[in-house]
Amino acid sequence: MENLSHMLGAVAEIGASPRIFTVFWACLLGIVVGMIPGLTATLGVALMTTLTLSMEPDQAILILICMYVGAIYGGSRSAILLNIPGTPANAATSLEGFPLARSGHAGRAMAVATTGSFLGTAVGMLALAVLAPWLAEFALDFGSFEFFWLSVFGIVLCGQLTAMEDGLKGWISGFFGLLIAMVGQESIHAYARFSYGDPNLAGGLGLLPILVGAFGCAEVFSVMRGAAGQRVANNASGVLKSSLQAFRHSMTWLRSGLIGTFMGVVPGVGEDMGSWVSYAAAKRLSRKPEEYGKGSVEGLLAAETGNSAAVPGALIPVLTLAIPGSAPAAVLLAAMIIHGIRPGPLIMYQQPDFFYSIVAMVFWASVGILVLGLLLTRPLLLILKVRREWLLGVIFTLCVVGAFAISNRMFEVQLMVVFGLIGFVMRETGFPVAPMVLGVVLGPILDANLRRSLTLTQGDLMPFLTRPISAVLALLVVLILLAGLLPTRRIYGWIRARVGGMS
Amino acid sequence: MTARNAPARVDLIAGVFVVILGMAGLVESLRMPRFEARGIDPNTAPGVTPGLISAALLIFGLTLTLRAIRGGGTGSGITIHAWDRGAVLRTALTISLALLYGMLLFGSLPFVPVTAAFIFAFVVATELANPDRALSVPALLAGAAALALAAAFGIQLIFEEIFLVRLPG
Repeated sequence: MENLSHMLGAVAEIGASPRIFTVFWACLLGIVVGMIPGLTATLGVALMTTLTLSMEPDQAILILICMYVGAIYGGSRSAILLNIPGTPANAATSLEGFPLARSGHAGRAMAVATTGSFLGTAVGMLALAVLAPWLAEFALDFGSFEFFWLSVFGIVLCGQLTAMEDGLKGWISGFFGLLIAMVGQESIHAYARFSYGDPNLAGGLGLLPILVGAFGCAEVFSVMRGAAGQRVANNASGVLKSSLQAFRHSMTWLRSGLIGTFMGVVPGVGEDMGSWVSYAAAKRLSRKPEEYGKGSVEGLLAAETGNSAAVPGALIPVLTLAIPGSAPAAVLLAAMIIHGIRPGPLIMYQQPDFFYSIVAMVFWASVGILVLGLLLTRPLLLILKVRREWLLGVIFTLCVVGAFAISNRMFEVQLMVVFGLIGFVMRETGFPVAPMVLGVVLGPILDANLRRSLTLTQGDLMPFLTRPISAVLALLVVLILLAGLLPTRRIYGWIRARVGGMS
Repeated sequence: MTARNAPARVDLIAGVFVVILGMAGLVESLRMPRFEARGIDPNTAPGVTPGLISAALLIFGLTLTLRAIRGGGTGSGITIHAWDRGAVLRTALTISLALLYGMLLFGSLPFVPVTAAFIFAFVVATELANPDRALSVPALLAGAAALALAAAFGIQLIFEEIFLVRLPG
C-alpha cells in the first residue's frame, strides 16, 4: 500500500505541475522521430541526452522517457502507411498494419496501434512498479562473481536473440563491444589500455558518440543506400471508434504486454523481440490464424502492445542492476549516470522517490502517446511526405552537433563518424549492432567485477562456478553457446519429426 | 563473385578480420604491464580482461572463418553483395559528404555557413542522383538553399539559446 501511495503521489506531482507540458511536447517529438523511417528511438534518446545535459535531472529524464515511449509508438505510423517500420521495433506491425491500410482501413489500423501502445506501456509500467523493487531486493545478494556472469549472460543472450539465425555473429558483435570498452584508463591501476599515448583514447571511448554513430549516422547511410520508399496516399478516419474496439481483445493485449515486458527485461534485447514474440504468440493462439498477414487487428494489436511493453520492461534492469534491457535504455542509463543518479540494487533504499517518479513518467508518457496519437492523426501524416533526400542531411547535422555537445570536443564527432561507418558495415555484413552497444555498456562492469573476484579468491576460479546464482548464470551461458553453435535447426527438425510421428 | 557463394565470401573476410582483431588484442594484452615491481596482485593486471575478451574473439573469428570455408552459415542479413548502381552512387555521395563535413569542416569553420553549405550540397547532390526527382533544377536549388539556411540557423538557435550548448565558430 505504501508503494502504491508513493506511485500515485508521483503521478499526481507531474500531473499538477508545468512538467505536464514537457510530457506532451517530448512525446510529440518522439512520435515524429519514430515515424520517420531511418530515425530510431535510440537516436532520438541519444540526441536528446546531449541536449538535456544542462537541465535538472528530473526534467531531463522525463524528456528522455517521453522521447523513448513516443518513438517506439511513432514507428507504427510509417509501418502502417508506408510498409516501412519507423523503428526496427515496428517490423511486425507492418505485416498487419499495411494490409489494413491498403484495404482502406488506415485510420482503424492507426487507432489499434495507438491503443495497443498505450495498453502495452501501461502493462509494462505496472510490471515495473511491482517487479523492480523485488528484483532490486534480490540483486542485493549479487556479488562481483554474479555481476561478472550477468554481464557475460547479457552479451551472449543479446547476441543470440538479435541475430536469430546466426548467434555467432551476435556474440562477435557483443565481444567486439566489450573490447571497445577496454580502451582508456582502467579503474584499478589507472593504466591507459590501447591508448598509445593519445590523451583522447586514454580518456576512453564515450558511450553516447558510439550510440549516435552506430544508430544515427549508420542509419543515415543505410537509408540512403536503400531504395526510395512509397508515398503516403491513405486517409485516416474512424480513429476514435476503432481505438475503443481494440480494448475488447483483452487476452491479446494482456498476454502481449506480459511477453513484451519480459523481453524488455532480458538485457540488450528490447522492443524488437518484444514485438515479434508477442506477434508470434498471438498468431499461434488465435482463433482466426488465417487472417494473419492479410490485416489482422489482433496481430497488429499484439505487435504494438509487445514493443511498447518492452519499454518499461527494459527500464527494470536499468534501475535495479544498472544493466540496460535495450539500446535506448542503454542511453537512458548513461543519461542517468551523467545526471548523478546511481541506478543499481540500492536504488530502492537510496532514491526510492526517484524510482516512483520514473514509474509516473512512464505513466504520463503512455497518456501522452494515447492523446496525441488519437488527436493528431492527420497533421502527423504530413511528416511522412518529406523525402529522405531533404531530411537526412539535417539528421546527419544533428548527429554531428549532438556528438559535439557531449563534451565540446571534436574527438567525439570523429568517434561518432567512425562508429557510423563501423555500424553501416556491420549491418551490411549481417552483424547486429545492439550487442556491440551492450558490450560497450557492460565492459567496465565485467572488467571491474572479474578482477575484483579474482583478487578475492586469489586466482581461484571455483567460486565462479560454485556460488548458486553464479552457477545458474554460468550454466545458462554454456547452454546458449551450445544451442547457438550446435546445428539447432537440425535438432529442432528431428524433435519435430519425432513428436509429429508420435501424434 | 556468384550470388550463391557471396555470403560465405563476406563471412570469410569478416572471420579473418575478427581473427586478426582477436590476435592483435591478445598480443597487446600480454604486453600490458603487470606491475610486479610494485607487488601488485597479478589477477588485477590491466591485461587480464582484454586478454580474455580477445581470446574469445579469436575463437569466434576462427569458428566463423572455418564455417565460411566449409560454405556453411545462412547468409541471413548480409546485403553488401546485393548493391545496384544507384545504391553505390547514393552511398558514396552520402559517405563522402558526411566525412567532409563531420571530419574536416565542422569545427574548423564557422557553424552556420559550413552547415548550410553541407545541407545544400547534400540535398542537391542526392536529388540530382535520384532518377525519380520531381522538381526542376532551379526549384531544387531554391528549395535546398531555403532548407539549408533555415536548418543551419534553426539548429544554432535551438542548441545555443534553448539547450545552452556552445557550437564551434
